[in-house]
Amino acid sequence: MKVQVEKIDEFLWEIPRSGNMLVPGRIYADDESMTFLLEESSTKQWDALAQVRNVACLPGIVGASMAMADIHPGYGFPIGGVGAFDPGEGVVSIAGVGFDINCGVRSMVIDITKERIELNRERVAEELFNSVPAGVGSKGEFRLSVPEIDRILTEGAAFALERGYGVEEDLEYVEERGTVAGADPSAVSPRAKERQLRQVGTLGSGNHYLEVQYVDEIYDEEAASSFGLIPDGIVVSIHTGSRALGHQIGTDYQSVLRQASQKYKIPLPESELIAAPIQSPEGRRYISAVRAGINCAFANRQAISGLVRDAFKRLFRLSDGEIRTLYEVGHNNLKMETHDTAEGLRNLLIHRKGATRAFAAGRDEVPERYRRVGQPVLVGGTMGTSSFILVGTEQGMTETFGSAIHGAGRVKSRKKALRDYRGNDVIDDLACSGILIRTRSRKGAAEEAPGAYKDVERVVAIMEGAGVNRRVARLRPMICIKG
Amino acid sequence: MTGRGHETLEHTADMGLRGWGGTPAEAFEETALAMFDLMIDKSGISAEDDYSLSIGGRDLTGLLIEFLNELLSLADVEDSAFVSISIERLQGEGEEWDLDAVIGGIPRGKCRKNLLSEVKAATWYGASVDREGGGLWVAGCVVDL
Repeated sequence: MKVQVEKIDEFLWEIPRSGNMLVPGRIYADDESMTFLLEESSTKQWDALAQVRNVACLPGIVGASMAMADIHPGYGFPIGGVGAFDPGEGVVSIAGVGFDINCGVRSMVIDITKERIELNRERVAEELFNSVPAGVGSKGEFRLSVPEIDRILTEGAAFALERGYGVEEDLEYVEERGTVAGADPSAVSPRAKERQLRQVGTLGSGNHYLEVQYVDEIYDEEAASSFGLIPDGIVVSIHTGSRALGHQIGTDYQSVLRQASQKYKIPLPESELIAAPIQSPEGRRYISAVRAGINCAFANRQAISGLVRDAFKRLFRLSDGEIRTLYEVGHNNLKMETHDTAEGLRNLLIHRKGATRAFAAGRDEVPERYRRVGQPVLVGGTMGTSSFILVGTEQGMTETFGSAIHGAGRVKSRKKALRDYRGNDVIDDLACSGILIRTRSRKGAAEEAPGAYKDVERVVAIMEGAGVNRRVARLRPMICIKG
Repeated sequence: MTGRGHETLEHTADMGLRGWGGTPAEAFEETALAMFDLMIDKSGISAEDDYSLSIGGRDLTGLLIEFLNELLSLADVEDSAFVSISIERLQGEGEEWDLDAVIGGIPRGKCRKNLLSEVKAATWYGASVDREGGGLWVAGCVVDL
């Protein structure tokens, strides 16, 4: 059924409250994007606008069911979806977190010239490809016992640091300093832990990547300077998540929350929007399991960043001081946060599914070094297009609970991408543009072809035009390692 | 759709699966094969090991989701790429459904070049198991890639 939308302004649209909706839906889009979404809504089985509307029906939702400009169909929540829930009346939904819990990006600034990378491009690509396990079923060098997995689930990045991956200063620049409180390893199944024994420190496959980039353009001198970004400066970005442990937590709690939905008579506008009251035993247990998954992802990215750090030290004889974590932030998350709302300050449980936290200047959660300019937001582009570093704004704090886009957003299905592109051609075309791809999967390269995604420049322009996020710098890829 | 078979369906971010056959068991087997097709290129390889799986669900659709997720989990734990499946028994009524299956797999280390994609989970989005007009059983759901 086609969803009705109303244009609020140039970059913001609303699905007015109707039927069982408790709040309106709000979508950041320009005219062209909305035309595409409406077309999809009326012709396709999978419908992102209907997903925004369905989330608006969940009990305890506050403000609006929102979608950032990289919106596309997910399962239950749209990708790019943000939902804030009252901790007393509200629910927690698996679909608002997904199966790759705390999937996110870490970016590191490397004190080396672009020319040195260009001159050693092949060698850098090989070293990174050989150093960071990637691809289906890849195993890490990080061998763990189950008791050690339990430590990862409560300690997060600090455990990887203790094992020699990275440096203490890294944690200052990781969301939550790389460890969330309230994680309960006993809420995570033995099977989930078993699956993770050899997966810490692995990149995975699909849209996960490790990229060497250079700063192509700076839009905000003050923020860029604060983040340590200079023209042609080198940045390495790591995109991965909680791996099999996160997938298994989602799988295990799918049946728990399905039963809870029936037990607590939660109206489900759609079958994957299963949920439990936040204060129910099932809801609390799921939240503590998700927090364990969040810590696992923090540990994973810390371990990979350590492998990347060591690779650059070996390659260019750099010191630890010449490799600095710029920031790390997740985009499949569940967070209890304090927000200034129309009813005053409120604690809210924020679901971000394919959306990034984007706090404005002055928030305590922002590292002290960045507090004057705001939290860096790391937006992945595609293998052949730009990535962006944005910053949160005050308007974003009030309109979106401090949220941002997480990427370009897919526009073509993987099947269509496979019909339209050949992996070898994609890799050759990118090589002609000066972008070196290393992958174990040619099919994966075709599925992730730049043409399968929206134009990230436009997606960023929508969020900036709406005043919700602000551009700081644009990064261009030089080397991309895919699973 | 006639006889038995399977296909994958367009979904912008993830992938839809559909399997059909003369019985629920056949439709389940075909849906599992559709999922395996996303994960491995079976050309030139055949199963070397057998694995047994028993799983329950609260209805037929729930059983399908549990079954597909158990396949993903088991493959990971066994470090195996699954290529064939036979459901030996599928039965139930009311809120108690279960099945037994035998899966054929090959160690991932022996077929690295054939591995395609990692499937994270089978979701309830678009999930259904129905008997269509002609008596054909059709099963399907969206999997997270």
